[in-house]
Amino acid sequence: MSYLIKPFDKFISMVFLKESAILFLCITTAFNSFSGQISDTIYINSGTLQTFNGSSLPYKCFNSSNVFDKRNAILSYSISDTVSLTIFNNDISPHRISSIELGVTSGLISPGMNETVSIHSAALGTFIYHDSENYPNNKILGLAGMIVFRNNSSASFYWNLKELDTLWINEISSNNQLSAEYNPKFFLINGNHNPDITGDSSARIVGNVGDTIHIHIANTGNAIHSIHFHGYHLKVEQSSAHPGHEGRIKDTFPINPMEVLTLELVPHQPGEYPVHDHNLIAVTGANIYPNGMFLTMLIEP
Amino acid sequence: MTRRIVLYFFLMSSFVSVGQQMVNHQLIARNLGEKEMHDGIVLRTFGFAQSFSEQPSIPGPTLYANEGDSVVLDLFNVSQGAPHTIHLHGLDVNQENDGVPHLSFEVHHMEHGYYYFVAPHPGTYFYHCHVVSTIHVQAGMYGVFIVKPADGSNITWDGGYPYSQDKLYTMSEIDPLWHEDSVMEHDHDTTQTIHEVSIPEYHPSYFLVNGQSEQQLLEPDIALQTAKEEVSFLRMANIGYLANRVTFPEELNAKIISTDGRPIVNPEISDTLWISPGERYGVLIEPIVDLIDSIEISYVNMNTLTSEDIQYVPVLVSGTNGLNEVLIKRPFELYPNPSADQFYIKSFGQAYDCIKIYDAMGRLVHIENHDNTEKKSININLAEGIYKVEILLSQCVLDTLKWIKR
Repeated sequence: MSYLIKPFDKFISMVFLKESAILFLCITTAFNSFSGQISDTIYINSGTLQTFNGSSLPYKCFNSSNVFDKRNAILSYSISDTVSLTIFNNDISPHRISSIELGVTSGLISPGMNETVSIHSAALGTFIYHDSENYPNNKILGLAGMIVFRNNSSASFYWNLKELDTLWINEISSNNQLSAEYNPKFFLINGNHNPDITGDSSARIVGNVGDTIHIHIANTGNAIHSIHFHGYHLKVEQSSAHPGHEGRIKDTFPINPMEVLTLELVPHQPGEYPVHDHNLIAVTGANIYPNGMFLTMLIEP
Repeated sequence: MTRRIVLYFFLMSSFVSVGQQMVNHQLIARNLGEKEMHDGIVLRTFGFAQSFSEQPSIPGPTLYANEGDSVVLDLFNVSQGAPHTIHLHGLDVNQENDGVPHLSFEVHHMEHGYYYFVAPHPGTYFYHCHVVSTIHVQAGMYGVFIVKPADGSNITWDGGYPYSQDKLYTMSEIDPLWHEDSVMEHDHDTTQTIHEVSIPEYHPSYFLVNGQSEQQLLEPDIALQTAKEEVSFLRMANIGYLANRVTFPEELNAKIISTDGRPIVNPEISDTLWISPGERYGVLIEPIVDLIDSIEISYVNMNTLTSEDIQYVPVLVSGTNGLNEVLIKRPFELYPNPSADQFYIKSFGQAYDCIKIYDAMGRLVHIENHDNTEKKSININLAEGIYKVEILLSQCVLDTLKWIKR
C-alpha cells in the first residue's frame, strides 16, 4: 500500500484499512505536506510480470521505489499542490513522461539519468501519465499510471485498467514490431486479476452506508471496458471522453482507451457486491472464471 | 432452501400491504434449448421460459413491474448440470437477492429460488444468470426487466415524457463454437468460487437484435413503425460482448433521455448512440417527415475498436402501406455479398443518381455518380470489413444496403 499510493491518500487509506502504527507515522508526515510545493519521485523499472497461466512477460512500470512492481504508482495530491516530480530511469532504454491533460512532457530521459517536471492542476480529477517515447509501444509494455488531484478527504480508490496481449508484448520487447491484431488474453486492475485485486487495498472499495466514496479509473490499455457495479448506481463526476456525461447516474460505465472517469458512490445498503467488466470476456483469463477485471466491494452498515 | 420457501410465503402474505402491488414472475431455466439462426443453422442454447410448453427464448421473456411493486421472482431450474441464478442487473437489490452464487445463492436441478425486491425507478434493466456468466449469458440466459411508473402509464417516469409506444431492442451476439457441448456442459464445483472452464476465443458470427438478425429483422414485430410527430420510446440495451454504435435516421429527431434506469438531466439530441455491454439507454423518437429508412446498429470489437458487423432495423413512418408491401417494393439489390473488390447494384427501374459508401465507423470512403445502367458495377479497393452503401436521388437516401468486403 504505502509504496503504491503517493502522499495524499496514504492518510485516507490508513483510516480505511487499519494498517500498522508504523505506517501511520509515515503517513502523518505526508499528511502534513498537503498543500503548497511538494517533491515526489518515481522510478522507471523493468521486470517480469507473471500471468495467471504461469508465463512470464517482460514488463516496465513507473514505481515509487527502485524495486520493480507490476503496479504503476498512483500519484495522489491535493488540488493546491504544485508537485516537483523527479523521474529516474533505471531501464536500459530511453523514456519520457507525459500527461497530456495536465500539459506535462519531460525531456528524453536516458538510461541511468533523471528528469524533473512540475505538475499542477487547476481542475480536480483523474489524469493519465504515460511514457510518450516510442508511443504506444512503451505504454503497451506497462508504462502508464494515474495522477489524481483532490480537494477532499473522502475515501478514494484507484483502478488502473489494462489488458495484456502476450504476443504484442513479446513482439515489442524483441523487435518493436507488431504482426497481428490486438487480442488480449489477460485483463488487469492495478496489475492484478481476480481474486488478487480484492487483496489490493487501493482498489477494493471498503466503506459504510452513507459514506461518500470516490473511484478514480484510468484506462491505460488499448481496449474499451464497460464497468458494471452490482448493488448501486453511481454518479459520473468526471469523464475525459464525454464531459457532457458528467452528472449522469448509472450502474455501467464504459471507458475508452487512454480516458479517465471519476465516480462518486454513496452506498444506500450494506453488503458485499461485485464490480466487473461487463464485456464478460474480460472476467476470464487462462480458462478461469471469474478472472480478469472482477473484484468485490464491501459496504458495512 | 427451506428457509427460502418460508421467506417466500412470508413475502407473499405481507408485502401487498407494504408495496403498491404484488407481482409474481416465474422463470424456468433450461439448458437444452434450440435456436434457429437466420441461415437455418440450429444451435443449442440455455435460456428462460415462462411455461413448460415453451422453448427458452433468446432473449428470455421481458418481465414487467410498476415502480414500488413488490416483486417475487421464482426461478425454477429444471436443467441438469451447473446451477443457475438470476442477477437483477441495475435493480440494486440487496446482496442476498443479487444472484452472484458465492455471495447470495444458486439454484440447483429441480429447485426453486425466490428473489424478492421492490421495483425501483422506472427504466430498463437486465436479468441474467451469474453462474459462469461468460458462458451462461452467451448461451442465452438473459432478458430484460422493465419498470414502468407506479400507475403503469405510457410515461417514461413520473414527471417524464409521455409516449405512444415503446419498443425494446436488445443487442447481443452468438459465437456458434460457444454453443457446442464441450463449452456448455462445463464442470462446476459449487464449493469453489473460482472455476476452471473451457472458454474459447470469442468470434461471433451472428449479430442479434432481439435474438434476430439479417432478414429476420424485417419481421413487423422488430420494425419501428410509427407516424409523423408521434412519440415513441426506444429502450436500447446491450447484453453482448461487443459495443454497439447505433445510428438513427436524422429525421427521427432522436433524443437520448435516460440511461441505466435513471433520467439524463440534460438530454442529448444525437443521431448516434454508443452502448457498451451492460448499458441501457432510453431514446425518444419523434419523426418530422414520412420515412422509410433503418436504424443502423454496428457491432464494434472492444479490443480492436473495429466494426464486425452491421444490422439494420427497419423504420417506417406513416404514409406507407405496411411493412410487407414496403419490403416487396424494396428497389435495390446488392450482390454478390460478401465479395472482393467488385459488386453490383441492381435498381429494378428505380432512378437514382449517386452511391455513397461508408466504413463501419461512419466515414465516407467512396462516392460515385450513377450512369443510368440498371445493373451498375462498383469496383473498389477497400480493406476487409463491413460497409454501408447509400443509394441517393437528389441527395435523398432511397435505400441503405450492407456490403461485406472479404
